[in-house]
Amino acid sequence: MRAYTGRIREAAKRLLAENRVDVVIGFRKGTIPLMNEPYLIKSVDQVNQLYWDSNCGINLANYLPKRPDRVGIVAKGCDSRNIVVHILENQIKREQLYIIGVPCKGMLDRRRIMAERNGREPLFAEELEHKVRTVRYELDLTRDRNYFLQDNCRICTHRNPVIYDELVGDLVEEQQVDRYTDVRKIEAMSAEERWEHFEKLIEPCLRCYACRNACPLCYCPTCFVDEARPQWVGKSLDKTDTRTFHFLRAFHVAGRCTDCGACERACPVGIQVRQFTKKMEKDIKELYGYEAGVIADERPPLDTYRPGDPEPFFK
Amino acid sequence: MSEWEPKIVAFLCNWCSYGSADLAGVSRLQYPHNIRAIRVPCSGRVNPKFILAALRQGADGIWVSGCHPGDCHYIEGNLYARRKFTLLKNLLDYTGMEPERLHFSWISSAEATKFAETARGVVDAVKTLGPARHFIKREAEVA
Amino acid sequence: MSEMYIAKEKFPATVKQLMGRCRVYGPVFRGQYHEFAELKAAEDADMGYQNTRLSPKELFHPQSERMFTYSLDKSDSEAEILKEAPKDFSSRVILGIRPCDAKAFQLDDRNFDVDRFRDPWWVKRRESTTLVGLACNQPCASCFCTTVGTGPFDTGGLDVLLTDVGNGYVARSTSSKGDDLLQGMEGGEKVSSEAAQKVMDLKIKAEKQLGVQFDVSTLSEQQMLELFNASFWDDIQFSCINCGICTFLCPTCWCFDIQDEVHGNKGDRIRNWDSCMFPLFTLHGSGHNPRSQKLQRVRQRFMHKLKYYVDKYKDGVACVGCGRCVRFCPVNIDIRQVARLMSARCVCPA
Repeated sequence: MRAYTGRIREAAKRLLAENRVDVVIGFRKGTIPLMNEPYLIKSVDQVNQLYWDSNCGINLANYLPKRPDRVGIVAKGCDSRNIVVHILENQIKREQLYIIGVPCKGMLDRRRIMAERNGREPLFAEELEHKVRTVRYELDLTRDRNYFLQDNCRICTHRNPVIYDELVGDLVEEQQVDRYTDVRKIEAMSAEERWEHFEKLIEPCLRCYACRNACPLCYCPTCFVDEARPQWVGKSLDKTDTRTFHFLRAFHVAGRCTDCGACERACPVGIQVRQFTKKMEKDIKELYGYEAGVIADERPPLDTYRPGDPEPFFK
Repeated sequence: MSEWEPKIVAFLCNWCSYGSADLAGVSRLQYPHNIRAIRVPCSGRVNPKFILAALRQGADGIWVSGCHPGDCHYIEGNLYARRKFTLLKNLLDYTGMEPERLHFSWISSAEATKFAETARGVVDAVKTLGPARHFIKREAEVA
Repeated sequence: MSEMYIAKEKFPATVKQLMGRCRVYGPVFRGQYHEFAELKAAEDADMGYQNTRLSPKELFHPQSERMFTYSLDKSDSEAEILKEAPKDFSSRVILGIRPCDAKAFQLDDRNFDVDRFRDPWWVKRRESTTLVGLACNQPCASCFCTTVGTGPFDTGGLDVLLTDVGNGYVARSTSSKGDDLLQGMEGGEKVSSEAAQKVMDLKIKAEKQLGVQFDVSTLSEQQMLELFNASFWDDIQFSCINCGICTFLCPTCWCFDIQDEVHGNKGDRIRNWDSCMFPLFTLHGSGHNPRSQKLQRVRQRFMHKLKYYVDKYKDGVACVGCGRCVRFCPVNIDIRQVARLMSARCVCPA
């Protein structure tokens, strides 16, 4: 995917030089291996800082809400879907955006690589054709790229941007996968097992709110966890509070979540928070036939209704 | 020894279900006293936060009731609510909450009998489950 | 100063001895990463670890700590009287802590243990704890302890330093607490001259590997307002998502918030970590927020660590170079990069 870098720079240069946009949002090369930094450039002389490889997992749509200027934005499949959601939710106007689409082959899960390296950080990492190599001290590790993909990328069915003004490469083949095997596994458990499963899942939570803040959908001026009158959820590490946070956070992104995986990627303690959101995604697909961020002129499922919506348990 | 009695928080819409509760009262219909009614303008006004808040404070069961679909005073509030609660209940079930703690119904202001019947049904269902075990915060569990 | 050599096969027995005397905490692998936990068995301590994901500040300054409890029951004769929540201050050893993290406690002492303000719980926990460090033979790629005045073999914050010399550990005490600990231990051998030499070699190698990555000495010379108004903040803050990872993982971030929680007739006063990255951190009761913008919050964190602290205490920066914030910042904001910008001799005004 590094080959996209040149095309991204070219596009950014053209857009800025022709004054089509005021800024371009993309990534610049990170200061440590397997990390890149979201970056905003304002002038042509900065375009060579733009960079692309398989470590651009953070969702750039997160930087769009309420921007007043004209923005060029580099967007992979999931970013583009979140841009669609932002447009639907009036966070940004389509006319303000110039979308540089990136057909994506999945992003690397840094955590998985670190685990494979027994927690030892690499000093150097390189992407080869289909492979990833990391080096530090005596440990020189090369593995299949697919082995290190983020969980959400493995089951991604929208690798190509759904909306764009230009593409930096040929469209890639979309995967035909069953997205919900893990959800079904949990559904098959007994209620008590499910409760315990989630209790264990969120046990290491620090309440740093990185999952919330990395999420492009979380743009409320005041989040419910910060509300004081009433205080919906306590501030301590009490497990009911932590659970309330995760539960309501997940519910808040119902019908909007594109499964971009930014939440899991950001989590410092490796909680698979997508286990909450994917259930909602599955239900919404089954009940209302809706997939978030795919069609630009369809109201999100919780902002509309059909007279004959299923109501299995209403008396 | 006094027997345990469940506490049920009922969010009743002002225009229908709350009216039916009133009518049940003036019609001298019997229904269990476990119901704590909270009057809301519309079932669509009920935020999932309210339900979580009630559970956290020790409600053994939750009951949300509004106008029949098509009869909403605000035309469509209950239709949005229907989607919201369907997903909410599914997510609560999925994360391990007993499904029988949550109840939803459509009761018009004329259906006092249905109100009393549903109230009995809700209380019976929650009684079978016993006291709430999940999502209650009795004190902060910290070091 | 006493020293001894403990062969690796005898190490579990040594730990067991310690466990017989007091509570022993060590690095324990918990599924995805290591964290300090009270050892149930001597073998649970994984001394081959790199470092814990979370800083060990939790051991002295828990993320959530019940400070007081009270009753609101009017019939209770002690209603509305704050009572200190019971805590365990029995003596303990923290085994295998990294020198940088131990050094961080000394920085934190500036907040919790000064003449004017002594945090009783912090102080008692500090007093009852002996820190047995483990030297870093192979520092992380993102560590920079030597740059900020500590180091992979720094004994400054420790009572005992262990160095893994291959077949065993060389243990050296660096305080009277450490002396007491080592003198009471059985099973130690005399440190051979080869082992002593190995320690020296490892130290030099590790320190060389880390190098000096930026210059902290110029920070004190910078004009505070020039730094405050510098144009680079805009660049740095862009990617920040204002989560609390950097502050929660940092061993020298000590800020907290106090909350009262009332359930029924009983109340708790609880102290929780807080983060200057959160807008709520500075929100006034009036609704005014002096740091309502992301830029202000990002700047605050770096200015506090690299400028305000430097000027106030004249003893280096409020950072020990453990590299946690560098490794786990989801958007790769790198404090080393920020420090380079801040310490550069020419600061361009905005």
